[in-house]
Amino acid sequence: MDLLDFLKILPLVVLATTSVVLMLVIAFQRNYKINFLITLAGLILAFVSLLFVGTDKPLQITSILVINGSSVFYIGLLITGCFIAALLSYGYIEKYKGNREEYYILLIIATLGSSILVASDHFISFFLGLEILSVSLYGLIAYPHHMRQRIEASIKYLILAGATSAILLFGMALIYTVLGTMEFSRIAISGTQPGNQNVMMLAGWGLLTVGIGFKLALVPFQYWTPDVYQGAPAPVTGFIASISKGGMFALMLRYFSRIDIFTNNALLTLFAVIAIASMLYGNIVALMQHNIKRILAYSSIAHLGYLLVAFLASGSLGPQAVAFYLVAYFLTTLSAFGVITLISTPDHEIEELNDYESLVWRHPVLGIIFTISLLSLAGIPPTIGLIGKIFIAAAGVQSSLWVLLGSLIVGSVVGVFYYLRIVITMFRPPEEGFEPVISLPTILTTGGVVLSLLTFLIISLGIYPLPVMQIISRMITTLP
Amino acid sequence: MLTIPFQHGLILAGILFSIGAMSLIIRRNIFFILLSIEIMLNAAGLAFVVAGAHWGQAEGQIMFIFILTMAAAEVSVGLAIVIQLYRRYRTLDVDAANEMQG
Repeated sequence: MDLLDFLKILPLVVLATTSVVLMLVIAFQRNYKINFLITLAGLILAFVSLLFVGTDKPLQITSILVINGSSVFYIGLLITGCFIAALLSYGYIEKYKGNREEYYILLIIATLGSSILVASDHFISFFLGLEILSVSLYGLIAYPHHMRQRIEASIKYLILAGATSAILLFGMALIYTVLGTMEFSRIAISGTQPGNQNVMMLAGWGLLTVGIGFKLALVPFQYWTPDVYQGAPAPVTGFIASISKGGMFALMLRYFSRIDIFTNNALLTLFAVIAIASMLYGNIVALMQHNIKRILAYSSIAHLGYLLVAFLASGSLGPQAVAFYLVAYFLTTLSAFGVITLISTPDHEIEELNDYESLVWRHPVLGIIFTISLLSLAGIPPTIGLIGKIFIAAAGVQSSLWVLLGSLIVGSVVGVFYYLRIVITMFRPPEEGFEPVISLPTILTTGGVVLSLLTFLIISLGIYPLPVMQIISRMITTLP
Repeated sequence: MLTIPFQHGLILAGILFSIGAMSLIIRRNIFFILLSIEIMLNAAGLAFVVAGAHWGQAEGQIMFIFILTMAAAEVSVGLAIVIQLYRRYRTLDVDAANEMQG
């Protein structure tokens, strides 16, 4: 490993350094604002250092990490997502009465774990990145620990994530036993040889798929999602929905493209079934929910199903559609959870559907922002969500995945119902003598400004998505 | 010297893993649940060591060291949450902490 390699992983080094600096600063002086500013500075620095990482040719770093166009793109996306999440959390965590400063350390470490995931090319880095991400998430979920709900969510996530890691590891161990290698590219080569297609290998694949399915909350491994989404603090929920799932999905894309899933019919069928089940289950169960965070949890299950459609599209469009949809999903989810964050406090989360009654009348700006992010989730023009879905549909058509496309359309149509139900609740005119439950924040806070910017991006990229598409087509080549 | 065939090691790992998985499902006390996760993780670690020995590579043991490290980190965070669980619920039974339904 020489200086050039070191330069290539500079973004990861900067993130790790930022977390250490934050810890040292806290050891000397607790100051919420200074910690927040250091976090932002570290994230900006990591993003800038990303620009110096050339993507002209992929670079293997000690066979554990690979830095190519797609890893750089996803690391950039994750860092941006964390930046937005940090800005949105500022006002929320400020109201927390316990120790507030460590929140940002956990945020940075989780982003670091996710970034390692998207750059990994080996079981060891896969496992390490995943664990760095999960362990910091346990802490983040239980961060305002004075409420029972948080502890419950954190315990549930702890048990499930721990058990999932064990399952994933056992799967990896079985594959390693058969093939004698843990590098993705070498697994791809020796995995296809006829001598290596035995029961142990199959069990390894099965366990690995179960593990990945749990982490992405795909049906039938989705049970933890609604509880964790509901129990976690709103900014953390947004973080889980975007950074944690995005990183995992990018990794899955690389792993299964390397081993060329598209030649393996059994695996293809399995993933197609999972995708259809996720799209339908997520959208239908969301219809029966009365809690906004639970609705968004089920909607995220469905969205992961949509992403799987793009993932299964083997053509050149597939990886690009995934990248674009992830950008759209990041912007939209962070914006939706941002609104919930802004009107909630650590002691009282505004999460019941009734609490949102006539929000548009009581606070027009926040109401409109929430409406636009819900429309984008539903895929209604002129939002980036629609462009993302069109992109996925195009990728599906290119590979003629008609059944999957059919479920995508059915799922989206069902989805429109519950998104619009929230919108209608918000637009209902207030009754006489109506007492607002929500203490309404002004829009001129950090979170408010960020939300307005996000909404601007959702709309403007929905009308003119070309800049993002150009970046994606330059960074994401056929082999992720 | 008598060498143990690697299949035996794998079978042992498989049995350990199943014991861990079973107790994860059956037990309701949070300590025992954390312990059963540990057993599962160590079963996976054992499988890695056996496989590494079978291929004559160091990777299996490297992975095992990583698993140990990660299990320690997970347990340290886990126990902190367990203390909070006991403070809020006055019990270590995880069924008590199941109030969110939907």
